[in-house]
Amino acid sequence: MESFYVRYRNFLVLLAVLLAQMIGLAMQVRRADSGRNSLDLPDGKGVRLIRLWAEATVATPERFFHTSKLDAGLWWQNYVNLGHVRDENRNLQKTIDQLRLEQAELLEDAKEGQRLQALMGFQQKYVYKTLAAQDIGSSGSDASRVFYIDKGSADGLARDMAVVTPDGIVGKVRDVFPHTAQVLVVNDQTSGAGVILETTRTRGILRGNAQGRLQVEGLLSDPRIQRGEKVLTAGGDMIFPRGLPVGVVEGVVPDPDRDSFIDVIVKPAAHIDRLDEVLVITSIEPGFPPAQQHDLATSVALKGAEAEAIKEKQIREQQLKEQQQEQQKASAIMAERLPGLTNPNAPAQNPAATPAPGKAAQPGQAPATPAQPAVPKLLQPKHFDRFSPGAASQPPSKAESSATAGQGSKPAAKPVSKPASKPHPPAHPQPAHTERNPQP
Amino acid sequence: MTVLGANYRRDLGIHRFPVLVYVLTVLAALVLQAWLPRLLAGHAWFDLPLVVIVYFALSRRDPVQGTLMGAAVGLFEDALTHHAIGVNGIAKTIAGFLAGSVGVRIDVENHTIRLLLTFLFSLLSSAVYVFVYRVLLGLDQQWNWVMELIKAVANLLIAMVLFPFLDRLQVRD
Repeated sequence: MESFYVRYRNFLVLLAVLLAQMIGLAMQVRRADSGRNSLDLPDGKGVRLIRLWAEATVATPERFFHTSKLDAGLWWQNYVNLGHVRDENRNLQKTIDQLRLEQAELLEDAKEGQRLQALMGFQQKYVYKTLAAQDIGSSGSDASRVFYIDKGSADGLARDMAVVTPDGIVGKVRDVFPHTAQVLVVNDQTSGAGVILETTRTRGILRGNAQGRLQVEGLLSDPRIQRGEKVLTAGGDMIFPRGLPVGVVEGVVPDPDRDSFIDVIVKPAAHIDRLDEVLVITSIEPGFPPAQQHDLATSVALKGAEAEAIKEKQIREQQLKEQQQEQQKASAIMAERLPGLTNPNAPAQNPAATPAPGKAAQPGQAPATPAQPAVPKLLQPKHFDRFSPGAASQPPSKAESSATAGQGSKPAAKPVSKPASKPHPPAHPQPAHTERNPQP
Repeated sequence: MTVLGANYRRDLGIHRFPVLVYVLTVLAALVLQAWLPRLLAGHAWFDLPLVVIVYFALSRRDPVQGTLMGAAVGLFEDALTHHAIGVNGIAKTIAGFLAGSVGVRIDVENHTIRLLLTFLFSLLSSAVYVFVYRVLLGLDQQWNWVMELIKAVANLLIAMVLFPFLDRLQVRD
């Protein structure tokens, strides 16, 4: 027996080590409800202990490297960028003011959305609290796309919390240690996130492939899905809040396993290969959190002040406009009255054609003829005589002759008239609308 | 054929290293393997721990030591991933055992042979990994063999630099 052991010592050790690892593997694999094996389950105590030791061993030097690199980088940045800090600060302040105003504009829509959701019995979850963390290391394997952050359970982190950046989603917390946590990136093959295409409203599950690219698998072929369409979180996976940016459609390829199905390749919005700082969403609550409500109140106040200023400006402009209109109206009236030589008692030549001042022509009527230049009109003398204006050159007309014949048989050649400069007022004033000598 | 000759093999000595070199080298390989992908934007197409395992197994010419070192390093790597602990362990255990066994039979003083063996063991380790993951565990995972080939070449290049450096750390009688 001893010789057997000595002779096959190497093989026996190999078999023992392999057997122990296989038993350990068998204890970790679970058969999921779908009938397929799965590993993405909470680890057992023994496995968790091994992970804790390994992580603690690696995390310390990783933190040292990271801090050294960060310190060197910060020193250089501080040295170079010190001169630009004030300008940046000013620009950022302007940006904040602008964003506050924009946020206030969205406030009413958000409140309406809340009311509608309340009516429908659906509660939208809003990001309540986030925790900034730094990426300090990875798994070191392409088959396992995870990284470690420098915050753990001591900082309030828990499993399945969403990890994002301002650009888009990154992944979820898979395992938590006292001072570190393991984050499963969305481009891992075992990862999954419910997403929706912004324009076509097509829903699907986002996964990573062997090359580490994001893809939405198993969608029905849809020609409306085009390159460049935005992809957002759908909110149905209970991890990522709804509406966070995921990326844009980079291409559509046919599903290799099923006909009439497609895989949508997505370009991630966040730089998931180059992460320095991430945000862990530690709490998601219905309604607006106090911080946002405070911001919104500030925005409303700012918006109110701005609205008042805009209103005053509009009133001033309106008053100015009215004044200008009044001036133009007065000028027009004065222009009409300026000739002054027209007979104020003379009737309008064509009342239908000359509408009253300030009164537009009625629809269907012919446009008013422009006013003729005023010609001085002399009053006809009551008794035409030789002194009447134009008597010498103009004999009395037949009508006048007949008119005078009725009054007496006076020779037409001897008319009696008074000087035009002193005309007699008529004994019986004639109505203004009748003329003795009407114009043809 | 002097490379494979029995007399020549008996004349070969076993390389020994201070314990601190074993520990620090393996630890440095593990830490760098976990930290460098951050700097390389995720393109960590190399396997430093495997290169170290192959080197020490070839140098020590001891299959048991290669087996145990491969198992320990593989389990440690598994613990840093989100996969089951043991997949990498089995792959590197087999690689370490074979490297230690080959070291007895061929001249590992030849630098070219060591590099060639590093390349082959890298591919072998990847193949065992896929076998365990897909066949033994029945898990569904896509695999890109082009990347594994690139990884093997990268390991060869790393070995070209690392092996001469580690040779200087041997304990010489």
